[in-house]
Parts: sequence; structure tokens; C-alpha cells
Amino acid sequence: MQEMLFYITRALVEDPDAVEVEELEEDGDLVFEITVGEDDLGRVIGRGGRVANAIRTIAKAAAVREERRVLVDILD
Amino acid sequence: MEASEWPAEPAERVRLLVERVLDELDLDGEVELDETDDVITATVEGDEDYGLLIGRRGQTIDALQLLAFQAAFRGIRERKRVVVDAAGYRARREEVISERADRAAEKAIASGSEVELDPMNARERRIVHEHLKVRPEVETFSSGDDPHRRVVVAPLISE
Repeated sequence: MQEMLFYITRALVEDPDAVEVEELEEDGDLVFEITVGEDDLGRVIGRGGRVANAIRTIAKAAAVREERRVLVDILD
Repeated sequence: MEASEWPAEPAERVRLLVERVLDELDLDGEVELDETDDVITATVEGDEDYGLLIGRRGQTIDALQLLAFQAAFRGIRERKRVVVDAAGYRARREEVISERADRAAEKAIASGSEVELDPMNARERRIVHEHLKVRPEVETFSSGDDPHRRVVVAPLISE
């Protein structure tokens, strides 16, 4: 999951080297925190959050076999 | 993904992204590309059940399609549409929506009142509008805000 999010995010940005995806656990949920370069923030969030929501939808599908919630945060 | 591995060709970028997500979902399948002047279509072909890739009301494959579009044309000014399809899903969906539109039109005509369809995304609403354009007894318009925006089919009452 972490690697897929890393792959997708790098594909969306101008500066792939600035992309980081951190995995952590929070109250039993699996949380992935995505960091991108400042200038790329708009590219991974999108108009009205459309791109960020698409990333979350894909993550949710990939998490069906997980027994817990999977959350994706984009850090700004 | 090194810069050298990330292709310059938008269609190839679409393919890689779709393949990566298929892989994560543990699904086999070939990604077939078709490119015209205004649309790149990536179709997943295979023997698997692609329900997980498609998602409820197509939300997963639509999300992948949006991401594929963004990734394909990053840094490229000239853009075209990107369609991600799986095992005939888009055609089946269009057929279902067209049938639903027909039933709504019949109901609107018979009852003389407006019929609201379920919420749909912009592409699916367009299918309804296009499909019912040829029927002079009804008109269609969209109402509400995304993600609840829906098509209303209204009878055109002639005196």
C-alpha cells in the first residue's frame, strides 16, 4: 500500500524526489501521510479535493483485505 | 520510479498507473491501449472478477481514471480525455443508464410529472441527456450539487 501511494503520488507531481509517504497507526487505524513539495500540493489535492479523494478511493479499494480502516492524509 | 522509468508518452503513463493499481489489488489482467486524436482508452482485459477495480457505482475505476489523466498530462499542455475501462464495464454501464433513462421518460409521460434519477457523475448524466434528446415528449436537466447532482426528466405537455 505504502509503495503504491508513493508510486501514484510521484506520478502526479513535478518534483517526485520531494515525495514521502509515511505509514503510522492511530487508534487502530492505518494512516498514510503523504508529503509533497510545496509547489506540488495543488496537484495532489486538485480542484475541490478531487485528486486527493481519488487517491483515498484507490487506497480504500486496496485495503479491502485489511481488517481496519485505512486513512490517507496529505500534509501541507 | 526513476525519471528514466517514467515514460514521456501519456498513454504509456496511463498503462503503468493502471498496472500498478491492478497489482496492488492482486488482480491479473492485460492493459490494452487505444489512442485517437481526442481520447486515450486503457482497457483491462482478463478472466478476473474486476468488481474490486470497478467499485460501487464505478467509483474506484473513475478515481483511477482521474489519477491516470492527471499523471498522463503532468507538464504537458496539450491534453485529451482518458478513459479507463475493465472487461466491458463502460459499455454495460451505458446500457444500464440508457434503459433507466427510457423508463424514467415513460414514467414522466404517463404521470405527467417530473421523474428524478439517482445521482450520477457528469459523464453519466451526459449519457442520459444525449439518450433522451431524441424524444420530443420529454426534456432533461440536472439539479442539485455533486455528488448528489441528478438528472430530472420532465414531460413536455402539449396542449
